[in-house]
Amino acid sequence: MSQSSVKPPAHAPNPEVPPVSEADDAIVALRDVTKTYVSGSKALIDLNLEIKRGDFLFITGPSGSGKSTLLKLLYGEERATAGRVLVDGFNVCELRGDRLSELRRRIGIVFQDYKLIPRRTVAENIAFVLWAQGFDRKEIERRLPPALKMVGLPHKANSFPEELSGGEQQRVSIARAIVNTPPILLADEPTGNLDADNSWQVIKILRKLNAIGITVIVTTHDEALIRQSNHSVVQLCNGRLYSPKRYNQPKAN
Amino acid sequence: MLLSLTKTNYLLRETLLGLRRGGWMNWAAISTVAVLLFLFGISLQSSWQLEGLLNRFGSQLEVSVYLDTGIQARELKPLVERFPDVSEVSVVSKEEAWANLVSDLGLSEISGATHQLEGNPLVDELKVKAKSSQVVPGLAEKLAKLSGVDEVQYVDEAVQRVAELNRGIRWVSFVIVMVLTLTAIAVITTTIRLIVLARRREIEVMQLVGATTSWIYLPFLLQGVVFGLAGAAIAWILLLSLQQFFRHLLAQQPEFVQLLTSGLQLSLLRTILLAGILLGFGSLVGVMGSLFAVRKITLKS
Repeated sequence: MSQSSVKPPAHAPNPEVPPVSEADDAIVALRDVTKTYVSGSKALIDLNLEIKRGDFLFITGPSGSGKSTLLKLLYGEERATAGRVLVDGFNVCELRGDRLSELRRRIGIVFQDYKLIPRRTVAENIAFVLWAQGFDRKEIERRLPPALKMVGLPHKANSFPEELSGGEQQRVSIARAIVNTPPILLADEPTGNLDADNSWQVIKILRKLNAIGITVIVTTHDEALIRQSNHSVVQLCNGRLYSPKRYNQPKAN
Repeated sequence: MLLSLTKTNYLLRETLLGLRRGGWMNWAAISTVAVLLFLFGISLQSSWQLEGLLNRFGSQLEVSVYLDTGIQARELKPLVERFPDVSEVSVVSKEEAWANLVSDLGLSEISGATHQLEGNPLVDELKVKAKSSQVVPGLAEKLAKLSGVDEVQYVDEAVQRVAELNRGIRWVSFVIVMVLTLTAIAVITTTIRLIVLARRREIEVMQLVGATTSWIYLPFLLQGVVFGLAGAAIAWILLLSLQQFFRHLLAQQPEFVQLLTSGLQLSLLRTILLAGILLGFGSLVGVMGSLFAVRKITLKS
């Protein structure tokens, strides 16, 4: 592994010394978070992380290091065994039922396997989110074209997912994630199934979204991509978080 | 207002989509409900019809009290009227009874007949109407104990038997309806669960993008209601055709049979009530079935 070119930009938070104050501009904060699965395996150990509003953060690490678990803690799919997870003012660990739904409406999620619905067209797949959240038809029609344009697929609106390439499918899933304009976008290995060109296209779209103020958190094990995109990075290894300075020599304990 | 329109739009669309996905399983659910409601309807109808027949036996709620010779019915009447289970008392004097009998027998001259028998052979009679068929035997017993009463008669058996038949039918149909209700709920649960499974990707995505639980599962509940209502409609049509069939059959019978069975016809009000009950029962079964289906899945997530 050689990631010498990774340099956190000046505006990025320094994960080396995670601030413990509940700063107003922190949109995501993890405090002493530990996640142990029922089987006893420790996915995350004593994690501290703060992400400011408008940041673009890569979370990297080998598979099984806990990247997906970390994201799942943020949108409430998994619950921390210990510690606190704060997302956009919500204490995720305490959320149940409709409050959890409320949080999830403020988070767009992009998955490695896209999770598109096979028997619905691209437009329907994107509109599906808005239907699910109770938007009316007029609003849905208003929001669809900009979302499709953002990912460069207005001409594929009436295609079915299986007619699209992997890269296009992933772009549809990004459009779906941002169509309700959430302040946070989580992308779990969005480029995991894509070639270099498509991966770069996806990252470009994510950067565009970041530029309009959306906080973007991306997990990936694609080191080249991280180098290329020049954003702040934290590394997970065996459930522990490493700062960029130690990034080149992760110490497994 | 706008939100409720959106909701209706969404719910109808998703419910229809679910029904389309259900395919032939829809028919399994609907036909089970239809069979259940058809049998339920028949038992309800026959119970109503037997009640109607019992009411036609209204005259047989009557207890005939024959008095000892020489006792005047008019004297005894106020006493009998004070019995709590009595709704009406009328007097038939022996003269009236004799006149009726003589004319029934076709004798032309009443005095001749009287003379031949050396006087009116009959006694005074009280016709006592009971408030309900259940109290008839008890009332008859009490009346028999009155002084001056010779004999008490009532059509106990016929009334009793019809009432027993009615009770029997109610029990049997209750058991059958219970078993079929459980079956229908099980079939609807299975159907809806299959549809939920077929759409689990969509449901997963909906959960991840923050759709509320009720928003996700309301279409499935509505689907259950559709099964119930469709089953009820089919059952009601079957019941109406069955009625029609019997009506035709009866029309060809002698007048005597028609007269006997005229109590079996349902009034318009009853026919509408029957439809209402079937629709209500059907949607209840549908909602129960789909609730079981989504409850299991909600618990998992």
